[in-house]
Amino acid sequence: MEAATGTEPDLAAGVQAVLAELGDDPGGLSLSPIPGGASRETWLVEPSAAPGREAEEAAPLCVLRRDPKGSVSLVPMGEEFDLIRLAAEAGVPVPRPLAFEPDGGRFGSPGILMGFVAGTSVAPRILRKPEYEAARRLLVPQLAEALARIHSVPVGALEGVLPAPAPDPALGQIAEWERQLDEIGEPLPVVELGLRWLRSNAPEPAAPRLVHGDFRLGNFIVGEGGLAAVIDWELAHLGDPAEDIGWLCIRSWRFGNDESPVAGVGGLDEFAAAYEAAGGEPVNRERVRYWEVFGNVKWAVICARQAQDHLSGVRRSHELASLGRRVCEPEWDMLELIRGEGA
Amino acid sequence: MTQDRPDAAELLDAVAEYLFAELRLEVPREQRFKVLVAANVCAVVAREIRAGDGPALADEELFAELLGGPGGAPELAKRIRAGEFDERLDVLRDRLAEHVRRKLEVARPGYDAD
Repeated sequence: MEAATGTEPDLAAGVQAVLAELGDDPGGLSLSPIPGGASRETWLVEPSAAPGREAEEAAPLCVLRRDPKGSVSLVPMGEEFDLIRLAAEAGVPVPRPLAFEPDGGRFGSPGILMGFVAGTSVAPRILRKPEYEAARRLLVPQLAEALARIHSVPVGALEGVLPAPAPDPALGQIAEWERQLDEIGEPLPVVELGLRWLRSNAPEPAAPRLVHGDFRLGNFIVGEGGLAAVIDWELAHLGDPAEDIGWLCIRSWRFGNDESPVAGVGGLDEFAAAYEAAGGEPVNRERVRYWEVFGNVKWAVICARQAQDHLSGVRRSHELASLGRRVCEPEWDMLELIRGEGA
Repeated sequence: MTQDRPDAAELLDAVAEYLFAELRLEVPREQRFKVLVAANVCAVVAREIRAGDGPALADEELFAELLGGPGGAPELAKRIRAGEFDERLDVLRDRLAEHVRRKLEVARPGYDAD
Protein backbone atom coordinates (compact mmCIF):
# COMPACT_ATOMS: atom_id res chain seq x y z
CA MET A 1 0.00 0.00 0.00
CA GLU A 2 1.39 3.37 -1.02
CA ALA A 3 1.71 5.79 1.88
CA ALA A 4 0.77 9.45 1.70
CA THR A 5 3.31 11.48 -0.23
CA GLY A 6 6.39 12.48 1.68
CA THR A 7 7.30 15.86 0.31
CA GLU A 8 9.16 17.87 2.90
CA PRO A 9 6.35 20.39 3.69
CA ASP A 10 3.94 17.48 4.33
CA LEU A 11 6.50 15.80 6.51
CA ALA A 12 7.21 18.98 8.49
CA ALA A 13 3.46 19.46 9.06
CA GLY A 14 3.17 15.82 10.16
CA VAL A 15 6.00 16.16 12.66
CA GLN A 16 4.52 19.42 13.96
CA ALA A 17 1.13 17.75 14.48
CA VAL A 18 2.72 14.86 16.39
CA LEU A 19 4.73 17.20 18.61
CA ALA A 20 1.64 19.34 19.24
CA GLU A 21 -0.22 16.20 20.32
CA LEU A 22 2.61 15.50 22.78
CA GLY A 23 1.78 18.86 24.36
CA ASP A 24 4.36 21.16 22.86
CA ASP A 25 3.39 22.87 19.61
CA PRO A 26 6.73 24.00 18.20
CA GLY A 27 5.27 26.17 15.45
CA GLY A 28 6.68 25.92 11.93
CA LEU A 29 9.45 23.36 11.40
CA SER A 30 12.18 22.81 8.90
CA LEU A 31 13.58 19.37 8.17
CA SER A 32 17.00 18.61 6.76
CA PRO A 33 18.38 15.15 5.94
CA ILE A 34 21.30 13.90 8.04
CA PRO A 35 23.66 11.98 5.73
CA GLY A 36 25.19 8.65 6.62
CA GLY A 37 22.21 6.48 7.51
CA ALA A 38 22.85 3.32 5.54
CA SER A 39 19.38 1.83 5.48
CA ARG A 40 17.07 4.37 7.06
CA GLU A 41 16.38 8.05 6.44
CA THR A 42 17.32 10.40 9.25
CA TRP A 43 16.04 13.98 9.40
CA LEU A 44 17.04 16.79 11.72
CA VAL A 45 13.92 18.67 12.86
CA GLU A 46 14.42 22.33 13.77
CA PRO A 47 12.10 25.30 14.35
CA SER A 48 11.79 27.45 11.23
CA ALA A 49 13.81 30.60 11.67
CA ALA A 50 11.78 33.16 13.57
CA PRO A 51 11.76 36.70 12.09
CA GLY A 52 14.94 38.55 12.92
CA ARG A 53 16.67 35.37 14.02
CA GLU A 54 19.24 33.33 12.14
CA ALA A 55 18.24 29.71 11.53
CA GLU A 56 21.50 28.42 13.02
CA GLU A 57 20.67 29.98 16.38
CA ALA A 58 17.62 27.78 16.85
CA ALA A 59 18.50 24.67 18.84
CA PRO A 60 17.77 21.40 17.02
CA LEU A 61 14.54 20.06 18.34
CA CYS A 62 14.48 16.39 17.51
CA VAL A 63 15.38 13.71 15.01
CA LEU A 64 13.05 11.76 12.74
CA ARG A 65 14.14 8.30 11.66
CA ARG A 66 11.99 6.56 9.09
CA ASP A 67 11.98 3.76 6.57
CA PRO A 68 12.65 4.70 2.96
CA LYS A 69 9.51 4.10 0.90
CA GLY A 70 8.91 0.42 0.21
CA SER A 71 11.84 -0.89 2.23
CA VAL A 72 11.74 -3.98 4.42
CA SER A 73 13.79 -3.97 7.62
CA LEU A 74 14.88 -6.71 10.00
CA VAL A 75 13.53 -4.94 13.05
CA PRO A 76 10.46 -2.90 12.01
CA MET A 77 10.34 0.75 13.17
CA GLY A 78 7.58 0.15 15.72
CA GLU A 79 9.64 -2.57 17.40
CA GLU A 80 12.74 -0.36 17.28
CA PHE A 81 10.74 2.29 19.15
CA ASP A 82 9.81 -0.26 21.84
CA LEU A 83 13.45 -1.40 22.08
CA ILE A 84 14.72 2.16 22.60
CA ARG A 85 12.13 2.65 25.35
CA LEU A 86 13.14 -0.59 27.09
CA ALA A 87 16.84 0.29 26.75
CA ALA A 88 16.18 3.71 28.29
CA GLU A 89 14.39 2.03 31.20
CA ALA A 90 17.42 -0.23 31.71
CA GLY A 91 19.68 2.82 31.97
CA VAL A 92 21.25 2.63 28.50
CA PRO A 93 22.04 6.10 27.12
CA VAL A 94 19.70 6.43 24.10
CA PRO A 95 17.90 9.30 22.36
CA ARG A 96 14.62 10.06 24.15
CA PRO A 97 11.90 8.14 22.27
CA LEU A 98 9.02 10.56 21.54
CA ALA A 99 6.56 9.03 19.08
CA PHE A 100 6.05 6.26 16.54
CA GLU A 101 3.90 6.52 13.41
CA PRO A 102 3.04 3.45 11.31
CA ASP A 103 3.00 3.12 7.52
CA GLY A 104 0.65 5.71 6.04
CA GLY A 105 0.76 7.75 9.24
CA ARG A 106 1.87 11.33 9.66
CA PHE A 107 5.48 10.55 8.71
CA GLY A 108 4.43 8.83 5.47
CA SER A 109 6.42 5.63 5.90
CA PRO A 110 6.94 4.02 9.36
CA GLY A 111 9.03 6.35 11.49
CA ILE A 112 10.02 7.33 14.98
CA LEU A 113 10.64 10.74 16.49
CA MET A 114 13.45 11.01 19.04
CA GLY A 115 15.06 13.70 21.15
CA PHE A 116 18.16 15.33 19.64
CA VAL A 117 21.49 14.20 21.13
CA ALA A 118 24.46 16.57 20.72
CA GLY A 119 27.75 15.07 19.55
CA THR A 120 29.03 13.08 16.58
CA SER A 121 28.79 9.46 15.48
CA VAL A 122 31.49 9.82 12.79
CA ALA A 123 34.23 7.37 13.78
CA PRO A 124 37.33 9.16 12.40
CA ARG A 125 36.29 12.36 14.18
CA ILE A 126 35.82 10.54 17.48
CA LEU A 127 39.18 8.79 17.11
CA ARG A 128 41.31 11.71 15.91
CA LYS A 129 39.83 15.15 16.70
CA PRO A 130 41.51 16.88 19.66
CA GLU A 131 38.16 17.97 21.12
CA TYR A 132 37.32 14.31 21.79
CA GLU A 133 40.53 13.48 23.62
CA ALA A 134 38.85 13.35 27.03
CA ALA A 135 35.95 11.40 25.51
CA ARG A 136 38.35 8.78 24.13
CA ARG A 137 39.72 8.11 27.61
CA LEU A 138 36.20 7.67 29.01
CA LEU A 139 34.78 5.60 26.18
CA VAL A 140 35.84 2.03 27.04
CA PRO A 141 34.25 1.87 30.54
CA GLN A 142 31.22 3.81 29.30
CA LEU A 143 30.67 1.37 26.42
CA ALA A 144 31.15 -1.58 28.79
CA GLU A 145 28.55 -0.25 31.20
CA ALA A 146 26.07 0.58 28.41
CA LEU A 147 26.45 -2.92 26.95
CA ALA A 148 26.03 -4.57 30.38
CA ARG A 149 22.77 -2.63 30.73
CA ILE A 150 21.57 -3.65 27.28
CA HIS A 151 22.22 -7.27 28.23
CA SER A 152 20.31 -6.73 31.50
CA VAL A 153 17.00 -5.91 29.77
CA PRO A 154 14.55 -8.55 31.03
CA VAL A 155 14.01 -11.06 28.22
CA GLY A 156 10.36 -11.39 29.23
CA ALA A 157 9.80 -7.72 28.35
CA LEU A 158 10.86 -8.43 24.75
CA GLU A 159 8.08 -10.89 24.01
CA GLY A 160 6.16 -9.54 21.03
CA VAL A 161 8.94 -7.04 20.31
CA LEU A 162 11.58 -9.45 18.99
CA PRO A 163 11.19 -12.96 17.52
CA ALA A 164 11.70 -15.83 19.98
CA PRO A 165 15.38 -16.76 20.31
CA ALA A 166 16.82 -19.68 18.35
CA PRO A 167 17.45 -22.75 20.57
CA ASP A 168 21.15 -22.32 19.76
CA PRO A 169 21.98 -18.61 19.30
CA ALA A 170 25.11 -19.29 17.21
CA LEU A 171 23.38 -21.70 14.81
CA GLY A 172 20.44 -19.30 14.61
CA GLN A 173 22.70 -16.42 13.53
CA ILE A 174 24.61 -18.63 11.07
CA ALA A 175 21.31 -19.62 9.42
CA GLU A 176 20.19 -15.97 9.32
CA TRP A 177 23.35 -14.74 7.56
CA GLU A 178 23.40 -17.74 5.20
CA ARG A 179 19.91 -16.67 4.21
CA GLN A 180 21.07 -13.08 3.66
CA LEU A 181 24.00 -14.33 1.58
CA ASP A 182 21.69 -16.46 -0.56
CA GLU A 183 19.46 -13.45 -1.22
CA ILE A 184 22.44 -11.58 -2.68
CA GLY A 185 23.24 -14.43 -5.06
CA GLU A 186 27.01 -13.76 -5.31
CA PRO A 187 29.24 -16.80 -4.74
CA LEU A 188 31.67 -16.04 -1.87
CA PRO A 189 33.74 -19.19 -1.15
CA VAL A 190 35.70 -17.55 1.69
CA VAL A 191 32.51 -16.50 3.47
CA GLU A 192 31.20 -20.05 3.01
CA LEU A 193 34.38 -21.38 4.63
CA GLY A 194 33.80 -19.00 7.54
CA LEU A 195 30.21 -20.21 7.93
CA ARG A 196 31.35 -23.89 7.99
CA TRP A 197 34.02 -23.07 10.58
CA LEU A 198 31.37 -21.32 12.70
CA ARG A 199 29.10 -24.40 12.49
CA SER A 200 31.93 -26.74 13.50
CA ASN A 201 33.11 -24.55 16.37
CA ALA A 202 29.86 -23.26 17.85
CA PRO A 203 30.15 -22.76 21.65
CA GLU A 204 27.76 -24.12 24.25
CA PRO A 205 24.46 -22.26 23.73
CA ALA A 206 24.31 -19.14 25.92
CA ALA A 207 21.18 -18.09 27.82
CA PRO A 208 19.54 -15.62 25.41
CA ARG A 209 19.85 -11.89 26.09
CA LEU A 210 18.94 -8.73 24.21
CA VAL A 211 21.75 -8.34 21.67
CA HIS A 212 22.05 -4.89 20.05
CA GLY A 213 23.47 -6.47 16.90
CA ASP A 214 25.36 -3.39 15.65
CA PHE A 215 27.17 -2.18 18.78
CA ARG A 216 30.24 -0.48 17.27
CA LEU A 217 31.92 2.82 16.55
CA GLY A 218 29.63 4.60 14.09
CA ASN A 219 26.53 3.80 16.12
CA PHE A 220 27.63 5.70 19.22
CA ILE A 221 26.89 9.40 19.55
CA VAL A 222 29.90 10.78 21.37
CA GLY A 223 30.14 14.23 22.93
CA GLU A 224 33.00 15.84 24.78
CA GLY A 225 31.95 13.90 27.88
CA GLY A 226 32.14 10.58 26.05
CA LEU A 227 29.25 8.25 25.18
CA ALA A 228 26.00 10.22 24.82
CA ALA A 229 23.77 7.65 23.09
CA VAL A 230 23.67 4.18 21.53
CA ILE A 231 21.74 4.35 18.24
CA ASP A 232 20.63 2.14 15.34
CA TRP A 233 18.82 -0.86 16.85
CA GLU A 234 17.90 -2.33 13.48
CA LEU A 235 19.88 -5.57 13.92
CA ALA A 236 18.73 -6.26 17.50
CA HIS A 237 17.74 -9.81 18.38
CA LEU A 238 17.78 -12.30 21.23
CA GLY A 239 21.09 -14.14 21.33
CA ASP A 240 24.49 -14.68 22.93
CA PRO A 241 25.63 -11.46 24.68
CA ALA A 242 29.24 -12.22 23.67
CA GLU A 243 28.10 -11.60 20.07
CA ASP A 244 27.97 -7.83 20.78
CA ILE A 245 31.49 -7.87 22.28
CA GLY A 246 32.99 -9.78 19.32
CA TRP A 247 31.32 -7.43 16.83
CA LEU A 248 32.55 -4.37 18.75
CA CYS A 249 36.12 -5.69 18.46
CA ILE A 250 36.44 -6.60 14.77
CA ARG A 251 39.23 -4.80 12.95
CA SER A 252 36.86 -2.91 10.63
CA TRP A 253 35.46 -0.98 13.62
CA ARG A 254 38.91 0.07 14.82
CA PHE A 255 39.10 2.49 11.86
CA GLY A 256 42.87 2.16 11.51
CA ASN A 257 43.71 1.92 15.23
CA ASP A 258 44.44 -1.78 14.77
CA GLU A 259 46.16 -2.23 18.15
CA SER A 260 43.05 -1.11 20.10
CA PRO A 261 40.37 -3.77 19.64
CA VAL A 262 37.63 -2.01 21.61
CA ALA A 263 36.25 0.67 19.29
CA GLY A 264 39.79 1.71 18.32
CA VAL A 265 40.34 3.28 21.75
CA GLY A 266 41.13 0.51 24.24
CA GLY A 267 41.77 -3.09 25.14
CA LEU A 268 39.54 -6.04 25.95
CA ASP A 269 40.89 -6.42 29.51
CA GLU A 270 39.78 -2.93 30.52
CA PHE A 271 36.46 -3.44 28.76
CA ALA A 272 35.83 -6.82 30.41
CA ALA A 273 36.59 -5.49 33.89
CA ALA A 274 34.15 -2.60 33.47
CA TYR A 275 31.50 -4.84 31.85
CA GLU A 276 31.68 -7.32 34.73
CA ALA A 277 31.69 -4.51 37.33
CA ALA A 278 28.48 -3.19 35.73
CA GLY A 279 26.78 -6.57 36.18
CA GLY A 280 27.69 -8.30 32.91
CA GLU A 281 28.42 -12.04 32.87
CA PRO A 282 32.14 -12.92 33.08
CA VAL A 283 33.70 -12.33 29.65
CA ASN A 284 34.99 -15.56 28.09
CA ARG A 285 37.80 -14.64 25.64
CA GLU A 286 37.40 -17.77 23.50
CA ARG A 287 33.71 -17.02 23.08
CA VAL A 288 34.43 -13.40 22.16
CA ARG A 289 36.95 -14.62 19.59
CA TYR A 290 34.33 -16.97 18.11
CA TRP A 291 31.93 -14.05 17.73
CA GLU A 292 34.71 -11.96 16.19
CA VAL A 293 34.99 -14.63 13.48
CA PHE A 294 31.21 -14.44 13.11
CA GLY A 295 31.36 -10.61 13.03
CA ASN A 296 33.77 -10.66 10.12
CA VAL A 297 31.55 -13.10 8.20
CA LYS A 298 28.53 -10.89 8.91
CA TRP A 299 30.33 -7.70 7.84
CA ALA A 300 31.48 -9.38 4.61
CA VAL A 301 27.85 -10.34 3.85
CA ILE A 302 26.63 -6.82 4.68
CA CYS A 303 29.26 -5.29 2.35
CA ALA A 304 28.17 -7.61 -0.46
CA ARG A 305 24.51 -6.82 0.23
CA GLN A 306 25.07 -3.05 0.15
CA ALA A 307 26.86 -3.38 -3.19
CA GLN A 308 23.94 -5.49 -4.42
CA ASP A 309 21.49 -2.74 -3.34
CA HIS A 310 23.37 -0.44 -5.71
CA LEU A 311 23.58 -2.98 -8.53
CA SER A 312 19.90 -3.91 -8.36
CA GLY A 313 18.88 -0.26 -8.28
CA VAL A 314 17.33 -0.34 -4.78
CA ARG A 315 19.64 2.57 -3.95
CA ARG A 316 22.14 3.79 -6.55
CA SER A 317 25.22 5.03 -4.68
CA HIS A 318 28.94 4.93 -5.37
CA GLU A 319 29.51 4.52 -1.62
CA LEU A 320 27.42 1.32 -1.58
CA ALA A 321 29.03 0.13 -4.81
CA SER A 322 32.52 0.57 -3.35
CA LEU A 323 31.64 -1.67 -0.38
CA GLY A 324 31.58 -4.64 -2.75
CA ARG A 325 35.35 -4.31 -3.01
CA ARG A 326 35.72 -4.27 0.77
CA VAL A 327 34.38 -7.82 1.24
CA CYS A 328 37.98 -9.04 1.12
CA GLU A 329 38.95 -7.05 4.25
CA PRO A 330 36.74 -8.94 6.76
CA GLU A 331 37.47 -12.11 4.76
CA TRP A 332 41.17 -11.63 5.46
CA ASP A 333 40.60 -10.81 9.14
CA MET A 334 38.40 -13.90 9.50
CA LEU A 335 41.04 -16.15 7.91
CA GLU A 336 43.68 -14.73 10.28
CA LEU A 337 41.45 -15.40 13.30
CA ILE A 338 40.84 -19.06 12.42
CA ARG A 339 44.42 -19.81 11.37
CA GLY A 340 45.75 -22.65 13.50
CA GLU A 341 42.38 -23.05 15.25
CA GLY A 342 41.22 -26.23 13.57
CA ALA A 343 41.15 -24.51 10.21
CA MET B 1 42.20 -0.39 -31.70
CA THR B 2 44.96 1.19 -29.72
CA GLN B 3 44.00 4.38 -27.94
CA ASP B 4 46.24 7.39 -27.46
CA ARG B 5 48.03 8.05 -24.19
CA PRO B 6 47.17 8.45 -21.37
CA ASP B 7 46.16 4.80 -21.06
CA ALA B 8 43.14 3.78 -18.97
CA ALA B 9 45.00 3.47 -15.68
CA GLU B 10 46.81 6.77 -16.21
CA LEU B 11 43.49 8.54 -16.84
CA LEU B 12 42.07 7.11 -13.62
CA ASP B 13 45.21 8.29 -11.79
CA ALA B 14 44.53 11.80 -13.07
CA VAL B 15 40.89 11.74 -11.90
CA ALA B 16 41.86 10.25 -8.52
CA GLU B 17 44.47 12.98 -8.01
CA TYR B 18 41.95 15.73 -8.83
CA LEU B 19 39.27 14.26 -6.55
CA PHE B 20 41.65 13.72 -3.64
CA ALA B 21 43.93 16.75 -3.81
CA GLU B 22 41.52 19.38 -5.12
CA LEU B 23 37.79 18.68 -5.09
CA ARG B 24 37.83 17.03 -1.65
CA LEU B 25 39.07 20.25 -0.07
CA GLU B 26 36.57 22.43 -1.90
CA VAL B 27 33.29 20.68 -1.04
CA PRO B 28 31.40 21.14 2.27
CA ARG B 29 32.81 19.03 5.10
CA GLU B 30 29.94 16.51 5.10
CA GLN B 31 30.58 15.79 1.39
CA ARG B 32 34.30 15.12 1.76
CA PHE B 33 33.89 11.44 2.56
CA LYS B 34 31.91 10.87 -0.64
CA VAL B 35 34.69 12.49 -2.67
CA LEU B 36 37.30 10.41 -0.87
CA VAL B 37 35.34 7.25 -1.71
CA ALA B 38 35.19 8.31 -5.37
CA ALA B 39 38.95 8.94 -5.44
CA ASN B 40 39.56 5.56 -3.86
CA VAL B 41 37.34 3.79 -6.40
CA CYS B 42 39.42 5.30 -9.21
CA ALA B 43 42.60 4.09 -7.54
CA VAL B 44 41.19 0.56 -7.12
CA VAL B 45 40.19 0.35 -10.78
CA ALA B 46 43.59 1.70 -11.89
CA ARG B 47 45.31 -1.05 -9.88
CA GLU B 48 42.95 -3.65 -11.33
CA ILE B 49 43.79 -2.58 -14.88
CA ARG B 50 47.53 -2.65 -14.14
CA ALA B 51 47.27 -6.11 -12.56
CA GLY B 52 45.94 -7.49 -15.86
CA ASP B 53 44.49 -11.00 -16.22
CA GLY B 54 47.00 -12.66 -13.91
CA PRO B 55 44.99 -12.61 -10.66
CA ALA B 56 41.76 -13.87 -12.27
CA LEU B 57 43.65 -16.69 -14.03
CA ALA B 58 45.38 -17.67 -10.78
CA ASP B 59 41.99 -17.82 -9.03
CA GLU B 60 40.51 -19.95 -11.82
CA GLU B 61 43.42 -22.35 -11.47
CA LEU B 62 43.11 -22.43 -7.69
CA PHE B 63 39.37 -23.10 -7.74
CA ALA B 64 39.79 -25.82 -10.39
CA GLU B 65 42.48 -27.48 -8.29
CA LEU B 66 40.33 -27.39 -5.13
CA LEU B 67 37.31 -28.72 -7.01
CA GLY B 68 39.26 -31.26 -9.04
CA GLY B 69 37.41 -29.86 -12.08
CA PRO B 70 35.45 -26.94 -13.51
CA GLY B 71 32.72 -24.84 -11.89
CA GLY B 72 34.70 -21.94 -10.46
CA ALA B 73 33.62 -19.85 -7.48
CA PRO B 74 29.88 -20.75 -7.65
CA GLU B 75 30.59 -24.50 -7.54
CA LEU B 76 33.23 -24.10 -4.83
CA ALA B 77 30.88 -22.00 -2.69
CA LYS B 78 28.15 -24.63 -3.10
CA ARG B 79 30.40 -27.54 -2.15
CA ILE B 80 31.83 -25.77 0.89
CA ARG B 81 28.27 -25.05 2.06
CA ALA B 82 27.40 -28.73 1.55
CA GLY B 83 30.19 -29.68 3.96
CA GLU B 84 32.44 -31.39 1.40
CA PHE B 85 35.52 -29.60 2.75
CA ASP B 86 34.76 -30.00 6.46
CA GLU B 87 37.55 -32.55 6.97
CA ARG B 88 40.19 -30.21 5.53
CA LEU B 89 39.07 -26.71 6.46
CA ASP B 90 42.65 -25.87 7.50
CA VAL B 91 44.02 -26.69 4.02
CA LEU B 92 41.13 -24.81 2.42
CA ARG B 93 41.87 -21.82 4.68
CA ASP B 94 45.48 -21.60 3.54
CA ARG B 95 44.61 -21.95 -0.14
CA LEU B 96 41.78 -19.41 -0.04
CA ALA B 97 44.11 -16.98 1.74
CA GLU B 98 45.98 -16.79 -1.60
CA HIS B 99 42.72 -15.78 -3.30
CA VAL B 100 41.98 -13.09 -0.66
CA ARG B 101 45.54 -11.73 -0.92
CA ARG B 102 45.04 -11.29 -4.66
CA LYS B 103 41.82 -9.35 -4.03
CA LEU B 104 43.48 -7.15 -1.40
CA GLU B 105 46.40 -6.42 -3.74
CA VAL B 106 43.90 -4.50 -5.91
CA ALA B 107 41.29 -3.35 -3.39
CA ARG B 108 43.40 -2.48 -0.32
CA PRO B 109 47.16 -3.02 -0.70
CA GLY B 110 48.95 -3.53 2.58
CA TYR B 111 45.87 -4.71 4.53
CA ASP B 112 47.40 -8.20 4.74
CA ALA B 113 50.77 -6.93 6.03
CA ASP B 114 51.91 -8.63 9.23
